[in-house]
Amino acid sequence: MPDSRPTFHQQLDDVQRDLIRLAARVIESVARGTEALLTLDLGAAQTLIDGDDEIDLLTLEIEERCFTLLARQQPMASDMRAVVTAIRLTAEIERSGDLMVNVAKAARRLYGSEIPVPLRSLLTAMADEAVRLYGLAMDAYASGDASLAAAIDDMDDRLDQLHEDYIQAILEIHADVRDIQMAVQLALVGRYYERIGDHAVNIGERVQYMVTGWLPEHEGAARIAARAAVPAPEETT
Amino acid sequence: MSSRPLEPMRHGFREELDQLRLQVELMGVRVDENLERMRDVLRTGDLDLAALATEADNEIDAMNVSLTERCYLLLSRESPVASDLRFIVSVLRIVSEFERIGDLALRVVKLAPHHHLLARHEVLFDILVTISEEAVEIYRVALRAWSAQDLHLATELATQNRNLDLYYERLVSELQRLDGLDAVRIAMAAFAAGRSLERIADHSAIVGARLRYLITGEPAHLAAEVR
Repeated sequence: MPDSRPTFHQQLDDVQRDLIRLAARVIESVARGTEALLTLDLGAAQTLIDGDDEIDLLTLEIEERCFTLLARQQPMASDMRAVVTAIRLTAEIERSGDLMVNVAKAARRLYGSEIPVPLRSLLTAMADEAVRLYGLAMDAYASGDASLAAAIDDMDDRLDQLHEDYIQAILEIHADVRDIQMAVQLALVGRYYERIGDHAVNIGERVQYMVTGWLPEHEGAARIAARAAVPAPEETT
Repeated sequence: MSSRPLEPMRHGFREELDQLRLQVELMGVRVDENLERMRDVLRTGDLDLAALATEADNEIDAMNVSLTERCYLLLSRESPVASDLRFIVSVLRIVSEFERIGDLALRVVKLAPHHHLLARHEVLFDILVTISEEAVEIYRVALRAWSAQDLHLATELATQNRNLDLYYERLVSELQRLDGLDAVRIAMAAFAAGRSLERIADHSAIVGARLRYLITGEPAHLAAEVR
């Protein structure tokens, strides 16, 4: 009977390669979406929004291949974790793409306004940081580097700080309430970049799971189980 | 090899699938309870209730992990095909939607410290409370559709025109009329709440689309839901 393992690994390699390509498209959309936002370029915003349909379909297709791999090949241990990780990564990457669509839509809503200079530089810094984090998270995935994956969470502190500075700057610039709609849109945009950073952290956690079997949810679930095992205070007295 | 020895295992598998459906429903009920807390926290700013909702969300997350792992185990152990494979894949996707709905509810709950700001503007506050009621109602249709595996309810969810969208538009236009010292802070908090509530309704509609795929096997429903 022929051994099915090479076929499985070949299929898994294809999935991983396609995932890396998918992430590369999303990383590219962060740069393009930010440029569309800063220049309020409606054409570029529309191109990005239209391009997301392809990302969504590719995501669905990779996910389906993973489910079929699980059901037909019955992988065990690290192979199983690799497929499960790929499924989780498709969702993280697809949501990150959606966030850049939201940035492009914000560019359309802000059309005709002028984004204040201090906010422009902070937006650029947040976009650069999001790209850097995402690139490192995907490097960790491609090379199976658990140490790099674990470090993404701490690296995300810088993006969180930039986001805080950005919100503070919005509150200061718009303290005299010239344009509430603009302030709200800009605040939302900042949140989108922050969430892209969160997705990079999630990818880092999933890569750690793939390599070591560790998952943050396991710790949470263990905490809940431990709490459930301890009698309530009134029962102990 | 005779097929008879396999029958007890397939019977056990069928029971496991039934059990899985009930566990998903239980997770959905936990999310529903937290949506109820979210609505009360939005109305009252009750910080103790907000803490309770945060704690409950941890349990929802744990249920998500446990159900997801069980699905992966069933996929690799049972090699399901056709409707059984579709069911497990649908469960994976639906628990992920429930978990995200729970996270969005928590975003509204976390605005509790800003309740005094939101409540200060009566019209805005009333619209937000109305949106929260609409969002919870739409979610409950999704939960009922799952419990009964009801194609009619699932279709209604995925295709209906929603009052919520009209209220959301009113919220956005009301925000633009805000003025005063804290106008930007109020607008940001109200917009964050409104948007989270809108997305709760969106994710409930996605549950409808996933359920349509499960019941009919028609992949077009799956493609239509992709955002």
